[in-house]
Amino acid sequence: MRQVLKDIFSFEDRPRFERIGFVVFILIILVFPWMVHSAYGRVVMIKFLLFALFGLGWNLIGGYGGQVDLGQAKNVGFGAYATALMMFWWNTPFWVTVPIGMIVAAAESFGVAYPMFRLKGHYFAIATLCVALVWKELFVFWDWTGGARGVELTIRPTPDFTYMQFGSPIYYHYFIFLLFITQLLFMNWFRKSKLGYELQAVRDNEDAAASLGINVYRTKVITYTITGGLGAVGGSFMTVYYLYIDPDFVMPLDLSILIAMTVMVGGAGSLWGPIIGAAILIPLDMYLGAWLGAGKRLGIDFMVYAVIMMVIAAREPRGIWGIIERLRKKG
Amino acid sequence: MLKVNQIKVHYGRIPALHEVSFEVKEGELVAMVGANGAGKSTTLKAIVGALRPVSGNIEFNGIDITGKNSAKIVRLGITYVPEARHIFGPLTVEENLLLGAFTLDSKHDIEERLDHVYQLFPKLNERRTQKGETLSGGEQQMLAIGRGLMSNPKLLMLDEPSLGLMPKLVTEMFKAISLLKEEGRTILLVEQNVREALELADRGYILQTGRTISSGQGTELLESEIVKKAFLGL
Repeated sequence: MRQVLKDIFSFEDRPRFERIGFVVFILIILVFPWMVHSAYGRVVMIKFLLFALFGLGWNLIGGYGGQVDLGQAKNVGFGAYATALMMFWWNTPFWVTVPIGMIVAAAESFGVAYPMFRLKGHYFAIATLCVALVWKELFVFWDWTGGARGVELTIRPTPDFTYMQFGSPIYYHYFIFLLFITQLLFMNWFRKSKLGYELQAVRDNEDAAASLGINVYRTKVITYTITGGLGAVGGSFMTVYYLYIDPDFVMPLDLSILIAMTVMVGGAGSLWGPIIGAAILIPLDMYLGAWLGAGKRLGIDFMVYAVIMMVIAAREPRGIWGIIERLRKKG
Repeated sequence: MLKVNQIKVHYGRIPALHEVSFEVKEGELVAMVGANGAGKSTTLKAIVGALRPVSGNIEFNGIDITGKNSAKIVRLGITYVPEARHIFGPLTVEENLLLGAFTLDSKHDIEERLDHVYQLFPKLNERRTQKGETLSGGEQQMLAIGRGLMSNPKLLMLDEPSLGLMPKLVTEMFKAISLLKEEGRTILLVEQNVREALELADRGYILQTGRTISSGQGTELLESEIVKKAFLGL
């Protein structure tokens, strides 16, 4: 038990500059709402933390596991819909809906993982993408979930900690920060756990992993299941933050791709990679959107992403974190 | 300990092993030699469950392990060190070794094994915090063998441990294997380095185009016409 707690909270094995950087980063996040009064700035910050959260979860299968999953949006959708529907139909408190959303997403992931991991590489990526799109279409046609019109929550007198609805963005800022830091600590434990090492072994060399008695297939299925559950948390947050969801908003292909991209840009398979990636792509996405206005609809933002992705793939496949590590070794 | 009985293995529709039979007894070092494509690695892969024989059976300590899943076979006590090293590059030497111990549960046992491996290969101890990919070829091979030893296997199968090493390191490698033999470990060694392998081995088998064509004491085989002609060019 003590060892587990130590693994969760200890960053001792990381170099000094990383630990200092991490503390500085936490302090900036904590004082941010009191320093920045621009409403837009605060929105960008919340969205950054949300995508850092998504990225941390996706990094499990996509980074440590090396399996390119292009369907994480379905899990976000399960979380978002679990919270929205239970609140809408039965007035269930937020904190009850979160674990249920996670269980639903994990169960679905476990179910589809079984056949999907018979595939490898690109074929696996395409399969994940298709599964996510099928779920989105199902939600569009399903009446109980509000179909294409989505679900709108009644606005409550604020602040309300049972349903997690607040008038002021400051509450949401600390709320998403709490979810983010919890997941980060989970990842800190995971990377040192037995499953974490098994997974990295499978990523680096499946044959060698199997020769050591690691059940390659089982390792992938378990990881994909956990990734599904983690994806749902951010979805639940989206519901109470935006108070309105529909399939196009919480389950689109764009979302799956953006989640995968933040991690790849930042550095897949590293602890800090998803955070760095989100810190670059999310402000870029928001300000590009604001600057282009209607132009965003034309997909100009996607062209920008594509260029970034190509540069990353050609220059440093381990992402920005790879560049940082390389510079540090030189210096 | 290990009994391979007339196994036949196909890659898709192409037969790779026609009929391979051999036996490894406890405490023995058995060498399996043969030219490229004779089916040496295929045989090992079939034993460890990576390939499923079409017919024939494999027995380990009286248990039929034919076509069982690799994870289960490894747990029974067979460790396979694949050819061309296959270490985990981004992980450190020690992490690589610890992954080998992953079928053990007790922390004490794991530390004991780790000490043992470091004793056997002091080079690895010096490099314990280095990433696997930064090691030289010979060190990587030692790491792969050390990792195989971490689970304290009943049977250690080495697939071409001298492959791609410079001559000086090949000698070192065989020295390490003879140390393992002195420990009393049961080893199945697959090699292209026919002379060294047979000199070291208690017994040997010769594999040709998917069949075991000859067997005998290591030194005896080395003297036999078949080896002289086919491998040593005498």
